[in-house]
Amino acid sequence: MNHRQDSARDELRARFTKWLDTLVYRAKLNYLYKTRKKVETVPIEEVEEDCLSCPGFEDECIRGLSGTDEIWFEEEELGKAFKVLSPARQQILLMLFVEEKKPCEIARELNCSVQHVYNQRSLALKKLRQALGKGGESLG
Amino acid sequence: MDEREFREVLKGAVAGIHEDLEELLRMYMPMINKYSMRNGQLDEDLRQYIMIHVALNISKFGI
Repeated sequence: MNHRQDSARDELRARFTKWLDTLVYRAKLNYLYKTRKKVETVPIEEVEEDCLSCPGFEDECIRGLSGTDEIWFEEEELGKAFKVLSPARQQILLMLFVEEKKPCEIARELNCSVQHVYNQRSLALKKLRQALGKGGESLG
Repeated sequence: MDEREFREVLKGAVAGIHEDLEELLRMYMPMINKYSMRNGQLDEDLRQYIMIHVALNISKFGI
């Protein structure tokens, strides 16, 4: 009988511990929610158009793609190797990797077959790899 | 503290007796400290917030 009473009291302690655990956990979540960092945002409609564009950036891109000026390469050796490629291959690589056009689009623009684009790409990459493998020496 | 004393303390805390509430909080301080950890460090503000939250809600516990 006494043992049964003890177990009933133990049940109270266990029940309270569980209740308190949940209460404290929720209090913590509540606290974290209240103190979370708020990032100030501005609706896109309120931003002036000038702020969205980067001045001169588009010109730089166009100039780079036009082929009249030199394209800036992160690695100097790659730039040197690229110059050695024929203009047609340079153009195909630029359209593929800079302008991110699909081979079928390039084939349409250059009036050639898609297979020709693939061939030129693989040949150009092969040449580049060879040049870079030689330590950036000219292909000759 | 045996089970009978615990029941008395709990009853007192639920009834709003400050000393009993203090005793109860002291008893459960390890749990409160565990939940007061943020990024591996004890957050005093969080611990205070939790203790206030417990004090405000203890009366809702049904014995």
